[in-house]
Amino acid sequence: MESTARLDLVFAALADPTRRAILARLASGPSTVSELAAPFDMAQPSISRHLKVLEDAGLIAQGRDAQRRPRTLVLGGPLRDVDVWLGPFREQWERRFDRLEGMLETKKRTRQEATEPMKETKAKK
Amino acid sequence: MSNATIDRETLTITFERTLHASREDVFDAWTRPEEIAEWWDPTGARLAKCEIDLRVGGAFLFENSSAHGPAFAGVYRVVERPGKLVFDALGSVGTVALTAKGEATHMRVDICCASAEHLEQFVKMGVHTGTDRTLDNLAARFPRT
Repeated sequence: MESTARLDLVFAALADPTRRAILARLASGPSTVSELAAPFDMAQPSISRHLKVLEDAGLIAQGRDAQRRPRTLVLGGPLRDVDVWLGPFREQWERRFDRLEGMLETKKRTRQEATEPMKETKAKK
Repeated sequence: MSNATIDRETLTITFERTLHASREDVFDAWTRPEEIAEWWDPTGARLAKCEIDLRVGGAFLFENSSAHGPAFAGVYRVVERPGKLVFDALGSVGTVALTAKGEATHMRVDICCASAEHLEQFVKMGVHTGTDRTLDNLAARFPRT
């Protein structure tokens, strides 16, 4: 499949909170359909439909165990595409917010030092 | 504490953080030129130019000192100290929502793009870091919302 078409499928699959929750769950290990359905107030067929969307997008796969048919997260592939596509943008904003955090910390410290000079000197000893 | 999520339906990228400061301080950091000049450029440099007309319909302009990337310019749509700031910039809508969380502040930043093409363009424009991140921390990236 062409990479942009594949990316479309992946983004559509990720655009749903239930499906994102399923992926988050699978990030910590394979789970069966009933295990995945447990936290949701949803009938199993609805969960199965969500799983199908994730599977078609190549985000999850069925495990080898024929009895339990656990679903597993597919690392690399589509998730990697999304990550690569989104990476620089996210990185830029995250770095920006790191700096905001740093500036607010400095401001707070400066203010504390100004209002509690005695305490500050004591703490340093 | 940070993570980013994307919603393809609404074309929105969301960032959330808990900051150890009051809402007033965080709001100031977003709206005072001398403060935003301090943190806006991800490379760590001070902004070369920072103009803010803080009112609904007022314009702003943030210009990096280095040559990379265009200036971040736009217009404020909502100015509600200390809880909310909404702006149009480069064809996208940015919303900063601040909620008190004890002595800290929960900051949620939504960047909503007009179209998928635009989002892609916006992402490409932000490219200057050339990263190759791994898929660790996946659960944090797709939180149970």
